[in-house]
Amino acid sequence: AAAADFTLLDSPLPARRRRPQPLPDAPLPRICTAGELPALREVHVWYLCPDELNNQSQLNMYEELLSPSEREYADSMKATMLRKDVVLSRALLRTTLSRYTGCKIDPRSFEFKKNKFGKPEVLWPLDDSTAEQPLHFNISHTTSLIACGIAINAHIGIDVEEKKRNTTKNILSLARRYFTPSEVDSLAEISDSDAQRKEFLKLWTLKEAYVKALGMGFSGAPFSTFSIMLETSKGIRISKTSNASRPGYDHLSENWLFTLAELNSSHYMSVCIEDSSRSQGPEDSPAPVGLKVWKTVPFVEDTLVSGTEAVKLIA
Amino acid sequence: QPRRSIRPMPRPRAKPGPRYKTAPLTSFDAHPTLLLLLSVLPPRPPPPPPTHPHRAGLSPLSRLPHGLRRRFRRLLRQRPVKTINANSVSFSAPRKDNVSFRLQPVPQRFSVRCAAKKETVEKVCDIVKSQLALADDTVVSGSSTFADLGADSLDTVEIVMGLEEAFGISVEESSAQTIATVEDAANLIDSLVAN
Repeated sequence: AAAADFTLLDSPLPARRRRPQPLPDAPLPRICTAGELPALREVHVWYLCPDELNNQSQLNMYEELLSPSEREYADSMKATMLRKDVVLSRALLRTTLSRYTGCKIDPRSFEFKKNKFGKPEVLWPLDDSTAEQPLHFNISHTTSLIACGIAINAHIGIDVEEKKRNTTKNILSLARRYFTPSEVDSLAEISDSDAQRKEFLKLWTLKEAYVKALGMGFSGAPFSTFSIMLETSKGIRISKTSNASRPGYDHLSENWLFTLAELNSSHYMSVCIEDSSRSQGPEDSPAPVGLKVWKTVPFVEDTLVSGTEAVKLIA
Repeated sequence: QPRRSIRPMPRPRAKPGPRYKTAPLTSFDAHPTLLLLLSVLPPRPPPPPPTHPHRAGLSPLSRLPHGLRRRFRRLLRQRPVKTINANSVSFSAPRKDNVSFRLQPVPQRFSVRCAAKKETVEKVCDIVKSQLALADDTVVSGSSTFADLGADSLDTVEIVMGLEEAFGISVEESSAQTIATVEDAANLIDSLVAN
């Protein structure tokens, strides 16, 4: 493959960049825009929309970024759409990580390891200075959106769900089977079925984000062992239930920060990060989680969408 | 939203002699969908390889030398295990204390040897197809993985709930997490129903 052509841009990411679109047959230039590292309690989210990425030469370029095992995994997907999703999500992850290393690390060189529950983490080379400020990431897919969340020095979980998603099972029976009694009660209070479904999805994404942030799999933190409350004065709060006092759930902790936003009026996005701050006095309410969101077409265009109508903070 | 139909996987390496009973090939055997239907067990796509050098997650049988593995397989084939006691050593029933098994699904060949009932597999396929709203011509077989079929976490829990209702069982999260293929689900159901 041709050597990557990186142009390092030192200025902080401006609000909108547009590169001249090349001719369809010409290979796309590989441009990497370095990003500022997230602050403490700040999360950066980069997302792309698979439906909008249909340029085959672009997709081929993304595929070149994948490691042989990732490519094998993509090839094992029988459905072409799923294969595309695998390629895009790995390309998104690699290009995003590369940004936060000041573009010094080629997206292709990242290696990953899995913790004993299967949660992927970056395997930093031992001599790399970026290992001093460990980047944590997490990815979430829906068919129409793939998002990658980045945080510094804090474990992160992210989950995205389409707002219009319907469940085949009845909402309350799903909640009774998987959620906690207090959550079932709060859902049952909502009379409008559509509003109830949306509330369910919000709770679902928040709980998913927590489980993914913990990194112990669905069985490490069954949904019935913790409750999420959306409307408290201190923002979104999590509390363990009596179920969690059974042996085996000691690792469930409550010092996690949540943020819930609506993306493009079409998706709910939940992010959960570890609260590593020292100020945990009873009077202190945790500062809200900073959220910056970019829509990206890797190597082509990045658009900062947080602070616009595209990202509406719910809590 | 409508699910997209699945392009069948091309038939992989040819083995001498049939390992499983297949229906006699007809003039339709050129049709890729039927090829998939006719082959009971297409080899499973390779899972994302663990970076742990110890090949964590694979059944211990796969670490045996090839000859021993073959002899084991023949032995298991002769005496199909109908009920699986989760407490005894078994290669398809996941053990809670053995974390490495939880990472990746048990190699397919062993799941089939401790055979899930055909009716169970079919029923699971039906439930999965209806939950994921797959097109009628989509082939769902024992070896289909939920990931391949495009099921996300919410789909998976709905499928598990559907299976619980259909079979009158209760599936714990730790067991549900080990299910990767339809065959895994059928195995688990059979063991729970038997117990």
